[in-house]
Amino acid sequence: MTEIFNAQGILKTFPGVKALEDVSVSLTRGSIHALLGENGAGKSTLIKVMTGVYRPDGGTMMLDGAEYEPQNTHDAIVKGIGVVHQERNLIPRFSIAENIFLEHLADQPLRRIDYPKLFQDAQRWLDLLEIDADPATPVDRLSVAKMQLVEIAKALSLNSKILMLDEPTASLTPHETDTLFGILRRLRDDGASLVFVSHKLEEVQEICDSVTVLRDGQNACESRRLDELGRQDIVRLMIGRSEMIPDWVARDRAEGQPVLELSNVSTKLGHKAVDLKVHKGEIVGLYGLVGAGRSELAKAVLGKFEITDGEVLVNGISAKINSVADAVGRYRIGYVSEDRKSEGLVLIHSVLENVGIPIWRRLSQFGGFLTNGTVRKHTVPFIQKLEVRTPSLEQQVGNLSGGNQQKISVAKWLAAEAQVLIIDEPSVGIDIKTKAYLHELIRELSDTGTAILLITSDMPEMIALADRIVVMNEYAVMGGFNNTRDYTEMSEGIMGLIQGDETAAA
Amino acid sequence: MGGPLRFLLSNEFGLIVLVLLFGILFSTLSPAFLSKFSLYALGRTSAVNIMIGFSMMVVIITGGLNLSVGAIGVGAAMFGGWLMQAFGMPWVPGVIGGLAMGAALGALNGVIIVRSGLHSFIITLATMSIFFGVMIYLTRAESYREISPAFTSYGRMKILGVISPLLLVTFAVAIMLSVLFRFTALGREMLVAGANARAAEISGIRVNRMITYCHMLSGILAGVAGLMLVSRTGAAIPSMAGQLGQDWLLPAFLGPVLGGTLLTGGRLSVLGTLLGSFLVTMLTTGLLLMQVGAFWIQTYLGLLLLAAVLIDLARRSYLERRKLL
Ligand SMILES: Nc1ncnc2c1ncn2[C@@H]1O[C@H](COP(=O)(O)OP(=O)(O)OP(=O)(O)O)[C@@H](O)[C@H]1O
Ligand SMILES: [Mg+2]
Repeated sequence: MTEIFNAQGILKTFPGVKALEDVSVSLTRGSIHALLGENGAGKSTLIKVMTGVYRPDGGTMMLDGAEYEPQNTHDAIVKGIGVVHQERNLIPRFSIAENIFLEHLADQPLRRIDYPKLFQDAQRWLDLLEIDADPATPVDRLSVAKMQLVEIAKALSLNSKILMLDEPTASLTPHETDTLFGILRRLRDDGASLVFVSHKLEEVQEICDSVTVLRDGQNACESRRLDELGRQDIVRLMIGRSEMIPDWVARDRAEGQPVLELSNVSTKLGHKAVDLKVHKGEIVGLYGLVGAGRSELAKAVLGKFEITDGEVLVNGISAKINSVADAVGRYRIGYVSEDRKSEGLVLIHSVLENVGIPIWRRLSQFGGFLTNGTVRKHTVPFIQKLEVRTPSLEQQVGNLSGGNQQKISVAKWLAAEAQVLIIDEPSVGIDIKTKAYLHELIRELSDTGTAILLITSDMPEMIALADRIVVMNEYAVMGGFNNTRDYTEMSEGIMGLIQGDETAAA
Repeated sequence: MGGPLRFLLSNEFGLIVLVLLFGILFSTLSPAFLSKFSLYALGRTSAVNIMIGFSMMVVIITGGLNLSVGAIGVGAAMFGGWLMQAFGMPWVPGVIGGLAMGAALGALNGVIIVRSGLHSFIITLATMSIFFGVMIYLTRAESYREISPAFTSYGRMKILGVISPLLLVTFAVAIMLSVLFRFTALGREMLVAGANARAAEISGIRVNRMITYCHMLSGILAGVAGLMLVSRTGAAIPSMAGQLGQDWLLPAFLGPVLGGTLLTGGRLSVLGTLLGSFLVTMLTTGLLLMQVGAFWIQTYLGLLLLAAVLIDLARRSYLERRKLL
């Protein structure tokens, strides 16, 4: 195997943060290289240095045996390095096809665009990635997962020698991930060199050949063969100690008056007669494939989408929710969005300003006055427990690493003392260590009586946290059962319900 | 990074330096610049211009703008003047009436904008003409000159011989705005709604209401500016902000933009707007003293806006290179 890329002694600092310090990495042809590390370890920064987004403050890079100093992102693409960044970069009102071929279109600014051909070419990529959508659709109409896939198609269409994927699977389902992996393996076999970032170690072990681990901006290991390392070795390299796997038991709290009850709820979006109950102190897991209508159901409860039939009851009383403000203010229903960038956070505001939003009203005194001290008192414990890595509470959230942004998006609602909390894909992009803390916090919150509806496509997470699992498919509830925490039994039960197998419903 | 260093690198500090530089420049070129009367006039005019800047600033934070600031300001002033002249009202209810009119017109802007979903540019372009036109029709383009003497003498008072009391009003409003946006839930929610409306909505903030409030506040502040002019000139005059109130637009934008208020919304600087508007007023006054033609003053102001934006860009990239931002 021959080396294609090599970086030595890379240095990159931001105000108050040493993001990369003497980092080295080497890539070979025809292999998939894992880049691992905790949230804020420097993975995305390294990728941005390699793709010309940031200029490094020190160090050298070699590409194909020649000095490599990308002047800008276009330069990196021309030299054969493609990338899927962690944060989405699609142009909102443009079509899928235009987004995929943006780089090609920009190359010939004055030529007339042959749209039929553009759509046709785009369709090939959509087919390959099994994206069920018309290439003419504006990308902002797509679900988070589909946007992610379009982003991947865009990078694939460049036919790069080196392709870097920064948490491409964070918001994909196992099935979509499998499809992607098939494509990545084929690229590898054709001689491409791939860099893969993920916090899901199973995926890493499944598809990667070698690994570089970063810790606090430094190499914890450099380009080692992955087959020499077991899961616990990798974990130790990442977090400096072995993994903690809590042995909770699922609790039976499905008794008494439900705090949140959906009775026969149908919506404009196509939900059909949904019944669902969440009791005090209970964690109900809502499982389903992408497109099952779970997030939309949550938003209907919140008053963002209209409920056409049936009703939502809070503490047994029919709730009149006309807007999200009603749901949050009057019924204390909180919602952690799966889409932190557009619905979870205000990227240009500080950590402290973001994390306090839902509690400002409650904490204000003397007719609306508020001090940062009180906001701090209520939010900092969560920021600390989740180990948010930030130089200060005044840092702009947009400057945090992806995983740390996610932590803020979740912490904001953990601090909000909601009576019902709907948590949608909470651990997207969160590292394994913090994920354990996050799970602990969610459990603790339910112990204080909060009724929690957990939406997650991460089956292990669902089985770790839920007391009861309810399965949704195509905008309808297929059934539910108590969680026994037996992985095989539960996943078979879930799959059975999705396929409409009535016998699985106990 | 320490607080003092951060301030030295800030936009506000840059403005202070510019104010001092031009202050020194003008006073050496024209000794009359530092005369008591000139300083008094500068303070009085700045007071109004800063208020006009604030009026625009509180709408810019929604990611929008308000072209009708002038029309609303004059409308509010005329209404206040009418109340005082036609009913012989004392100044307090007259002023309250005028501000209520400003609030109502601003709120009307806000309601139309959130209901229609159209950009504030279009809506306030239209309401600028409508408000002004209706005002001219109702007043028959006549001025109201029988203003409560207590009110007009306030605008002409001199504290310690040089300070206009109008400045005190402006400072008081500046403090109130700072408190609003820093220390109240309402002000912060307005900023969040302006920065990311979707995230704000999901967090339970009534975004449309907040945007309407911003426009209402803009109307009130425009009203304050209009009434300050009434107090200063002793009359409510339909043409006091030019045709359609357009004379206010340049100061309205210059202050906030120089002061670092983000045009895409969600972030403001009260101190920055104050300094920015003051700088602009000082330049105008200084150039007038040096007997530069009015036409050139507009040109210089335009150039200043452009230069300020470019300097700010350079400052940012310098800081970025030195890794200070
Ligand atoms: N533009 C920026 N300004 C300031 N600090 C930054 C910026 N970008 C990254 N950082 C900081 O650099 C560090 C490394 O961030 P990076 O995004 O590389 O982490 P990461 O390993 O990709 O983490 P994650 O798993 O959360 O995505 C973090 O502490 C982050 O706060
Ligand atoms: Mg990252």
